[in-house]
Amino acid sequence: MSSRMHHVIIGNGVAGDQAAATLRERDSDSRITIVTAGTLLFTNRYKLPQVFAGKTDWREYLVHPPSYYEERDITVRRRSVVIRVDPDRRVLVLQHHEEVGYDRLLVAAGGAAYLPEALRESAHLLDSFATFRSAMIARERLPDGGTLIMLGGDMIGLDMARTVLASGYRVVLVPNERTFWPHQVAAEELPDYLGALERSGIEVVRKGPVERLEEGAAGRPDRRLVFADGSDLEGDVVMAFCGLVPSLGFMHGAGVDIERGLLVNPELRTTNERIWAAGDVCQIWSEEEKGYRFYYGWKNVKMMGEVAARNMTGDHVQVDTFKDEKLVIDAEGRIDSPYWRYD
Amino acid sequence: MAVTDIQISICGSAGDGTIAAGDILKTTMARIGYRVIAFDLYPAEIRGFGKCISRTRITSDQVYSMKQQSDVLVSLDDGHTIPHVGEVRDYGAVIYDSFPITMLPEGGHISGHIKPGQIPYGLPIREISERATSSSRSRNIVALGFVAGAYGLPADAFRETIAAKFKTKAASVTEANIAAFDAGYEIGADTFRLDFVSFSEPPETKVEGADVVMMSGNAAVARGCLDAGIDTYFGYPITPATTIMERLASEMPKQGARLLQTEDEISAIAATIGAGYAGARAATATSGPGLALMAEMLGLGVMAEVPAVVIVSQRGGPSTGMPTKTEQSDLHLAVFGGAGDAQRIVLAPTNVEGCYRCAGKAFEMAERYQTPVVVLMDLYLSNRLETVNLPRVSPFAAGLSKDVEADTPAGTYQRFAITDDLVSPRALPGQADRMHTVTGLEHNESGRPSDQAAVHIEMSRKRHEKLKAALDHPDITICKRFGDEGPVDVGLLCWGSTFGESLEAMMKAQDEGIRCSAMKVVMLSPLPLDRILAFFEDCREVLVPELNYEGQFANLVTAATGRPVHRLNQVTGMPMRVEDILERIRALAAPPSRSAAE
Amino acid sequence: MPDMRNPVYVEEKLAEIEASGRLDYRSDSLPTWCPGCGYYAMTEGLTSALNRLGIAQKDVVVVSGIGCASRFPFFMRTYGFHTLHGRVLPVATGVKLANDSLHVIAIGGDGDGFAIGGGHISHAARRNLDCTYLLFDNGIYGLTKGQTSPTSVVGFRTKTSPYENRDEPLNPLMMLLSYGASWVGQAYAGRPHHLADMIAAAIDHRGFSYLHILSPCVTFDKTTKTYQNLNVQVRDLPSDHDPSDLMAAMALAADTNRPALGLYFRASRPTLDENLDRIVEAAGGPLPPDRQRDRQSATR
Repeated sequence: MSSRMHHVIIGNGVAGDQAAATLRERDSDSRITIVTAGTLLFTNRYKLPQVFAGKTDWREYLVHPPSYYEERDITVRRRSVVIRVDPDRRVLVLQHHEEVGYDRLLVAAGGAAYLPEALRESAHLLDSFATFRSAMIARERLPDGGTLIMLGGDMIGLDMARTVLASGYRVVLVPNERTFWPHQVAAEELPDYLGALERSGIEVVRKGPVERLEEGAAGRPDRRLVFADGSDLEGDVVMAFCGLVPSLGFMHGAGVDIERGLLVNPELRTTNERIWAAGDVCQIWSEEEKGYRFYYGWKNVKMMGEVAARNMTGDHVQVDTFKDEKLVIDAEGRIDSPYWRYD
Repeated sequence: MAVTDIQISICGSAGDGTIAAGDILKTTMARIGYRVIAFDLYPAEIRGFGKCISRTRITSDQVYSMKQQSDVLVSLDDGHTIPHVGEVRDYGAVIYDSFPITMLPEGGHISGHIKPGQIPYGLPIREISERATSSSRSRNIVALGFVAGAYGLPADAFRETIAAKFKTKAASVTEANIAAFDAGYEIGADTFRLDFVSFSEPPETKVEGADVVMMSGNAAVARGCLDAGIDTYFGYPITPATTIMERLASEMPKQGARLLQTEDEISAIAATIGAGYAGARAATATSGPGLALMAEMLGLGVMAEVPAVVIVSQRGGPSTGMPTKTEQSDLHLAVFGGAGDAQRIVLAPTNVEGCYRCAGKAFEMAERYQTPVVVLMDLYLSNRLETVNLPRVSPFAAGLSKDVEADTPAGTYQRFAITDDLVSPRALPGQADRMHTVTGLEHNESGRPSDQAAVHIEMSRKRHEKLKAALDHPDITICKRFGDEGPVDVGLLCWGSTFGESLEAMMKAQDEGIRCSAMKVVMLSPLPLDRILAFFEDCREVLVPELNYEGQFANLVTAATGRPVHRLNQVTGMPMRVEDILERIRALAAPPSRSAAE
Repeated sequence: MPDMRNPVYVEEKLAEIEASGRLDYRSDSLPTWCPGCGYYAMTEGLTSALNRLGIAQKDVVVVSGIGCASRFPFFMRTYGFHTLHGRVLPVATGVKLANDSLHVIAIGGDGDGFAIGGGHISHAARRNLDCTYLLFDNGIYGLTKGQTSPTSVVGFRTKTSPYENRDEPLNPLMMLLSYGASWVGQAYAGRPHHLADMIAAAIDHRGFSYLHILSPCVTFDKTTKTYQNLNVQVRDLPSDHDPSDLMAAMALAADTNRPALGLYFRASRPTLDENLDRIVEAAGGPLPPDRQRDRQSATR
């Protein structure tokens, strides 16, 4: 292939998108390839619940039009699943039997939804807003004025619940230990925060642990949640928002250190000098805390994409993370969070 | 504009069944009731793994050209297809095999080349084929099934076409192909689509007294000859005209007519002229190089006032040129080729239905005006498939030769008598008391050789002026204007297949607010000068787009009218691009100071 | 043969000729050939042959190429087509196949036939086109005033071979025999009665008949193929020659020093138009009753 420097980014989310833009700004000559398993270009997933408001043309969710990538000569390889990374030969191996070489690699594959044990068997009965496709399917399945049951309720989910409520649907929250993730909420504060949610229109069901999820019987709503105490809760669509776990299965055997996420230094470089990581997939060394930790939120992730890109092109900047991680109740008594800031 | 307007390209290697899949698609869509126009690209070599592309445009209204961009691209061979990914429009679909057999180097798989605006659909085509039929040979049918399922096309219609296509083979072959189709269809129907490609209901197909049939230009020419009652065909194989002879070889004997493959083109045209002299409806078909060989004989036909039909399908030139590429560079040869002032009638159809009509009408005109008639088409028309309205009853008239008056006394008959319309009564060998000899020498009214000035002047006048009546020959459009009436900014003066792309460019220009009109000229000799001049009067600028380097039609028109024209000359070997014509229209439509005539 | 002991009186002869009816085949145009040209004998031979065979003028089409021989159709009161140099046989093919009730007589010279026309002869012969090809061999291009031709002898000096022709001449008889012509004969303008008989036999044959006619050019060839030389050279074919023996015919044809006159070869095989009729039948197409399979293919 060409002799130009090849920057490869795994993941087409906020971090990957920012990294690609920064890479192109700083290096007009190199090849830049984003590798993603999805079919669409970078979409704003936080807006996907607007399908319920009738915005069903996915082009409205694109953050950049196709011409953006053409103008910047950024290749977006879609429907490309990375199976593994070979750091010696410096290639990615793709599921469709193609090898892609890299000079610099940025792993920005983000996180996948975490599912509690009890729900794993019935995962096929869950809907989500992870992709446009899943959002459209959920829309098909949710009748007018229907009920969305949210399990857990992490900040991503609660953000989306606001849009769903505004579109005239009923949202019922079944909280668990992951409610308000990634915020850490003390047990004694929980009732206040749940109360704030109720004031915003979300119904909160306090029935203890979920035992299982099943399809509803004929003539009943499509989904039935059964609790340990035998009671049940019916709804049309059930979604799990129990936080994220890093997507890094393909990095096993790549010779980089992994704990729960890819371990990186404050310059976001892994233990391999050609591989960086950014976003929900990595744990960054914190000198203060003397340990590796995750940083979440749109602003943080975007900043990480930029930092990684700068360092991939010769710079040595460190992350400057947004440290205000407090969950608040605002003047109207409603929940607010710094994780809900998107520009 | 059409409600459905989808162009599907299938690209693969010669052994992948690319063309076969395309055939099934075209045939089925035509049968369902859509209008279809299709043009396939074949590899130049007979054997080997050359590239094939089958392109089919499916519409609800009649259209006149292929689109520059396709809506859907199916890759049966990534190596061949990758260079063509760019032809799919934004939000169109690219369909490919997501699980090739071997590990590919970077860039070897098409998924890495798909443009940001295009939608990729990968499915394990080979695996599906093997699962459904125990062989990978049906990959093309699996892919076709996927397309049909994804876009909600009726599966039954496809199954019928597949069954008909393989009906001469073992039943197991048909079963396997249907299994492959169904497997692909199921997956396609389940696929969540993100592209913006859709089919509306097909239109009603009933046309009074006609069947809607999909055929190529060559098939249409053959049909026109048969419907006009062709008696003899003499021909020599030459790309791209050969299939005309091949079709007629099967069909003519069924009508009691005679076909003979000759030893060369000269023999072909000579036998055609001989047969025409003896009263037969006679035709031959060739391409540019063959026409060059025929030039002398055409002149004999003109001089001896013998009817003959010569079909010419132009290809890339000069000389042997590019036998499998299209061009429009034999106009000069067709109109002027041959020694001396040898004017003849030249018709240039602009689409496949026109090929049918011009072929049939050529026999009428040859007979009525006692002259060779050239039907000038090109490789694009020859090989292009279109749905046409084929009349159930032949629309062509027989017996148009002007007979000799029964009471003409023996010994007084003059074969070349000057009459009011300059067409002489024509006796045929076998008729008593009308014997005469025709010759390539200049001759008097009796046919006796003469080089007297008065004779040559009169006969030259006769041979040229008698043809003017062809301009009013019934039931054929020799010239027609489309688009805006009255004064326009830009007028396109077109001939042959380029008219299709020009018409589409004109419509796009009109959408952009440009006053634009397009005129197709079907009769190139004699030229309908009045109508062309009237067109010039209405157009601020006139553009002549054609596929040749010199601007042969522009030369013809400029010489005949004395008016300057703008030229758009392309010699790409491919049909002209609508975008290129449109760009020129825009440039010419801009304020007059910037568009000086060339 | 008329001679001093058996005088022929002009008035009697004219009366006989008019009574015979063969002048009907002649047009009002007088031939423009040089006095003494062998073509005069050929003209007489053709008209008497047609007359003898009773073939109607309206059913005859004389097709000619370019050359002295080519003027021929104008001197006949039949249908005629004066075509292009070398293209006699393809035009004749078209005429015959358009209407196979016509009798097609193809006429040309050695240059017309074997130089520019050489590519066509084999195909007309092998297809067994039912026509009669009368080939006038004077070993020169006469109309264009004396150039070498494919049958000129080695050593012949002409305007285009001032240093003598060095090319071996073709052997038309051997060529036609090898092309599979179903009737091959040779005659000589200096033996007009024999020539007339041969022409009649050629026309009568159903199939491709090739008659090679040795015919001196009195104006431009004063040295090689003159009456003087040919009178001495020509002989009759051996009386025991079997015209169905192709190889014997070939051997006889090879002897160009002593050109033999007569019928070299004759075979009976389906003609081109018959074959095309069979094709129509195989395709299930319509045929007039007289052309269907059980039609006789004997001589007319």
